[in-house]
Amino acid sequence: MFHVFKTFPNKIHALWDINLHVKKGEFVFLVGPTGAGKTTLLKLVYRGILPSKGQVIVDGVNLSRLKLSLVPYLRREIGIVFQDFKLLYDRNVFENVAFSLRVVGTKNIIIKQKVNEVLDIIGLYEKKNTYPHLLSGGEQQKLCIARAVVSRPLILLTDEPTGNLDPETSWEIMKLLFKINVWGTTVIVASHDKLMVDKAQKRVIRLVQGEVVSDARKGIYAKQ
Amino acid sequence: MIRSTLFYIKEAFLSTKKNSVISLATVICLTATLIIVGIFLVISLNIDLFIANIESQLIAIAYFKDNFTEEEIKKLVEEISNLKGVKEVHYISKEEALQKLKEDLAEHEDILAGLPENPLPSSLEIKVYETGYLEEIASLLSQYKGIEEVNYGGELTKSLMSIFNFVRKIGLWIILVLLAIAILIMFSVIKISVHSRQQEIEIMALVGATSWFIRWPFIIEGFLKGFLSSLIAFFFLSKTYQYFIGQVKEIIPFLPIMAGNEFLIRIGIILLFLGISIGVFGSMLSLRKISFEEL
Repeated sequence: MFHVFKTFPNKIHALWDINLHVKKGEFVFLVGPTGAGKTTLLKLVYRGILPSKGQVIVDGVNLSRLKLSLVPYLRREIGIVFQDFKLLYDRNVFENVAFSLRVVGTKNIIIKQKVNEVLDIIGLYEKKNTYPHLLSGGEQQKLCIARAVVSRPLILLTDEPTGNLDPETSWEIMKLLFKINVWGTTVIVASHDKLMVDKAQKRVIRLVQGEVVSDARKGIYAKQ
Repeated sequence: MIRSTLFYIKEAFLSTKKNSVISLATVICLTATLIIVGIFLVISLNIDLFIANIESQLIAIAYFKDNFTEEEIKKLVEEISNLKGVKEVHYISKEEALQKLKEDLAEHEDILAGLPENPLPSSLEIKVYETGYLEEIASLLSQYKGIEEVNYGGELTKSLMSIFNFVRKIGLWIILVLLAIAILIMFSVIKISVHSRQQEIEIMALVGATSWFIRWPFIIEGFLKGFLSSLIAFFFLSKTYQYFIGQVKEIIPFLPIMAGNEFLIRIGIILLFLGISIGVFGSMLSLRKISFEEL
């Protein structure tokens, strides 16, 4: 797999001349203060937006040239975990996870098997009939991850997965992401959780005001 | 395929349930619209029948005095056939006239039972191409000896027809306006429905559902609402119409009126078609583009 991120400005310069290459199976932190362009960068990967200049290549496909009707097929290869969860609160845990398989037309037996499996790994199997608003923040976050990975995507994008969680729960989430990474999924984590990033000892790409200011293997959040 | 279809239908019902009040309002609005359209349709079709009836009556009828010989009749028929504007001449004997009256009266035959002998005269029916010829032919005929009386309905026919045509035209416009309104209603309702399910749509788009996959549940929702509305409208209309026909037949037994199941089924099919198209078309309109951008 092959990612080249390169973007030039829209009017507000969200991202400025980004040149990045993330290899298949890598684990990457995207760090930087709020408004640095982390979320924008993630959006570029799943083609939520198109770059105003430059090319984004995901799994050998140039997203600028990808036909709109083919976007869904790209998205099936990408799992996304959002800052604001985006869970369906009128469906239970099982259905929330199953939803992403249903919409791609998976057989019921397979859905059942896959969802149960992923819930087991994530640690939500006991709560599969619970509704999301009864879950804790950490559990909701796990549910989002479960939904994102149930289809075994090539890439997992997570936006502030440890945003409002206490350090212990955060680390639990991080360990989950490492586990997913070990299966072979490329994981990109946008975060400004210094503690987690430093502890993880992974590649860290630092964005400030839409520009890459550092890109370090086994990096830490910031030098100073 | 079947699995997806099941999913669509399930989602459509879910959405209808979620917005039950609005759904109910839509069905009521659509039903009302379809009923009004149906009423105009019924009127319009009856007018068609009426006009066809009247047009076939572009005839002058010459009644003979009794004891007219066959030969004289034959000669007269030939003579009249050669007149300008005459389309067809048809001789009706006394017996035929009685038979026809019996048919027209249908269930009221008993009216005739008390007659001692056939009171009807034999006659000639002269069909013409246009109402304009009627007067001329009538005055010519009345000069013949042996002809008692000539009847024709020129002016009345003409004015009746222009009134009917006018009513029909107005009816058509009203139907068109109503249909446009119905589509707009459907459009807004599905829009509300789409809006209230924004989150689901967003997630669907993000986990890789194709845009048609996202659309289908809404289209089915529109279809179901249209279908249900047209069924209700049809049921209401057919019951009312049957009652109405019953009343009219009591009062004016001769009036040519569309009756019978065939006519009602025709109306039903039209309403069903309209209801479903409005539902589906309205949905499509509000779903023109499901965006993959900026999610």
